[in-house]
Amino acid sequence: MKIDIHTHTKKCKSGDAHTREISPEDFCETILSTEVRIIAITNHNVFDLNQFKEIEAGLGQEDVQVWPGIELDVQEDASRGHLLVIVSPSRVQEFSDVVEELTNGHHPDNFTATIDQILLKFDSITPLYVAHYMQKKPNISDNAIEKLVAESQNPSCVIKEVSNSISAGIYISHGHASIYGSDIQDWAKYEELSHDLPDLRLPVDSFEHFCLLLEKDQITINTLLDRKTSEELILLPFDDNSSLEIKGFNDINVVFGSKGTGKSCILKSIAKHYSENGIDTKVYESASDKLDDIFDTKGRDLNIDLKDYGIDYCTNNVNFLRTVGEVDVTSLSKYAAFFKVKSKNRNAKKILLRDIDPEDESGRKREFLDFNDATKTTAEFLKFLAGDQSVQEELEEEELAEVTRILSELFARLSRRESTKFSEWKEVYLLNSAIKIFRSEVARKTGTQAKPTTTGFRDYAMNRIEIEVNANKIIQNAETEIPMQCEPLGSLGSDKGDLEFRTEFQFQNGAITDGTLASLKGIKKGTQKNFVNRVRKILTHAYSDDLFQHIAELKAIEDVEDIDTVYELLLFRRYFALDGHQYSPSSGEASMVMLQKELGTDKDVYILDEPERSLGNEYINDVIVPLIKEHALAGKKVFISTHDGNIAVRTLPYSSIYRCHDSSGYRTYIGNPFSNNLINLEDDKDQLDWKMISMRTLEGGAEAFGERGKIYGDN
Amino acid sequence: MESEVRSMETIKATVESLDEKYFIQIETGEEQIKIPMSEDKPNEVKSAFNKLIARIKDGEFQIELEEISDDLFSQVASEYVTQLNREIQEVYGEMEHYDLIKD
Repeated sequence: MKIDIHTHTKKCKSGDAHTREISPEDFCETILSTEVRIIAITNHNVFDLNQFKEIEAGLGQEDVQVWPGIELDVQEDASRGHLLVIVSPSRVQEFSDVVEELTNGHHPDNFTATIDQILLKFDSITPLYVAHYMQKKPNISDNAIEKLVAESQNPSCVIKEVSNSISAGIYISHGHASIYGSDIQDWAKYEELSHDLPDLRLPVDSFEHFCLLLEKDQITINTLLDRKTSEELILLPFDDNSSLEIKGFNDINVVFGSKGTGKSCILKSIAKHYSENGIDTKVYESASDKLDDIFDTKGRDLNIDLKDYGIDYCTNNVNFLRTVGEVDVTSLSKYAAFFKVKSKNRNAKKILLRDIDPEDESGRKREFLDFNDATKTTAEFLKFLAGDQSVQEELEEEELAEVTRILSELFARLSRRESTKFSEWKEVYLLNSAIKIFRSEVARKTGTQAKPTTTGFRDYAMNRIEIEVNANKIIQNAETEIPMQCEPLGSLGSDKGDLEFRTEFQFQNGAITDGTLASLKGIKKGTQKNFVNRVRKILTHAYSDDLFQHIAELKAIEDVEDIDTVYELLLFRRYFALDGHQYSPSSGEASMVMLQKELGTDKDVYILDEPERSLGNEYINDVIVPLIKEHALAGKKVFISTHDGNIAVRTLPYSSIYRCHDSSGYRTYIGNPFSNNLINLEDDKDQLDWKMISMRTLEGGAEAFGERGKIYGDN
Repeated sequence: MESEVRSMETIKATVESLDEKYFIQIETGEEQIKIPMSEDKPNEVKSAFNKLIARIKDGEFQIELEEISDDLFSQVASEYVTQLNREIQEVYGEMEHYDLIKD
């Protein structure tokens, strides 16, 4: 939610650019395309009530507040400057009347007013005065501002307008309440420009509410803080068993103070509290030397499910090749023996079955299996249709009934065919078995050679086919490419680029010698390589005379028993990459990476112990602070122990816990930047100035205020 | 609609003898396949089978034994080729099922 306290909708003065003109419709459309939710209209020496009402009506249904205002030329002490006078929309009519009365008869180019005139006309309608200050030209003199503050009945509502966010921060650190607005010159550029406008850290409901926040009205601030989800934490962080009661907001909670004051103990006790309540929480501590362990670059716990990539583990295929043997063929001497001795036995001649040739069994079996598969698949689909919520939502009752009817009919027909095919297969099987048994029995009873039922070609060929099919399946699966896994780790700064953590998987293809690839399951690389090369040989020699020589070589590979699936053929490489190239992060960069990993993981509670360690200010500002703010906006609890002003100040934490120590012992203060105080938990009369303590205690604290330390405005 | 049924090829085979050794000689075009009948030489039979399997990959075929007489090895060859033809058909079906037949 952004605020813009200084905009123009009309070209009033002759020096105003025509690009300041905007119609009410375009104004509304432009504002709604931005994150600005509070906007004041402050034309030069003019207030157009009708235009204001049109805009107000145009934004009436939206969550945007429009505040009426004017930018007046002030003549005081022989100097001329600009002063914004902004009032509550509820007083727009009075405001319009006052402006009309004050400026009547004057062209905006020529109009000026004194501080006395302004106070006389406007002060009773409790406005917000925003004076152009210092570099914001034409500026109001210090004397004129002092007079305004001294004589207004709402001195806290006199603030200074500066040129940008850096100036705003500098002035507030010196005790000047300040803000800045767009002072828009060209509405075509407003959307882009709006990104730099101040953010509102606390939700502002109205103009009056904003003024109360400027006064640092404790009740208003507490009411706003109470709106935020929070919980009371009763902690036992210290060895002396003294308890600490704090409020943990679903936002940013900062613990700060000198070294050795127990900040880490507080964080650990917070982590313990959440862990005991079932939320898996641990304290993040920077440890750049453990980068390899944290990312498991050695792949100790690395695994992958090949099915996710459509790869079969080939367990049965590998086992088949490791156990397959040659199939014998029928000796032709048996045929010769049969034909040499014709059976003279009369009874044997009567058994005609022995002369019947066996029939093709495998074809019948395949036909049965095809119908069996189709029947099973149809039955499974019918079951799916009956139980799937999405299908039932999509199809009308009648449609579902029709689909089910057709599929049931198909199922019934397939089942009948399946039974028929099964009978046919088993008939042939029985016939062939009977022929074999009868021949064998006749031979046994008569002492003569029975006619062989098979040359052995069928079984011999089937075995070879099976070897080819199995070897082919292993090779095909092991040749499947697995896409590289990239885990984005974030930016190492605008000058370096984006870092990612990569995991590459590759099957040993028999030719890989790359030393940077390691075996995923710890199988010796030589064993993997030999295995793949032997399987390839088996595949190309499936119908060669020396096939079983290659199979024997496969079985003889050292440690081949370690390979049960193609998974054991996997190689991997894990590394960090910057803009696509392998990169070894420095110690500082390792800290960046780990912190980004921590903040990039979706959690309910983040507990960070001195996340700034080893990190540069620029990185903290540009990357870490925005990430922390993002989590706070999403309602996550963020607890941070820090010595860094960039984190403790720029995030404007909902809760600040300050720990200090002196000769009287340890003390804990709790407060926030909105009320700008820190209150001793054991003595509520002992209060400290949040801003002063932050500036004094935190590294870069003064600079942090120097840039963006506004209670109501921050970007 | 025009039928795309491929006519099955027939390969000639004969019973040959050399130095009183008998064998079935199958003419596949590129090379001869010899199956010894008068001696038990399983490796030679297997080698012949390997060639037959390789030939099946090119398409289905049947072996036709020529010049059959009444002698013992002609009877053996006749029975053997009959059985072999039936088994070639089965193997062809299986190879087709696994998509191992060349287009």
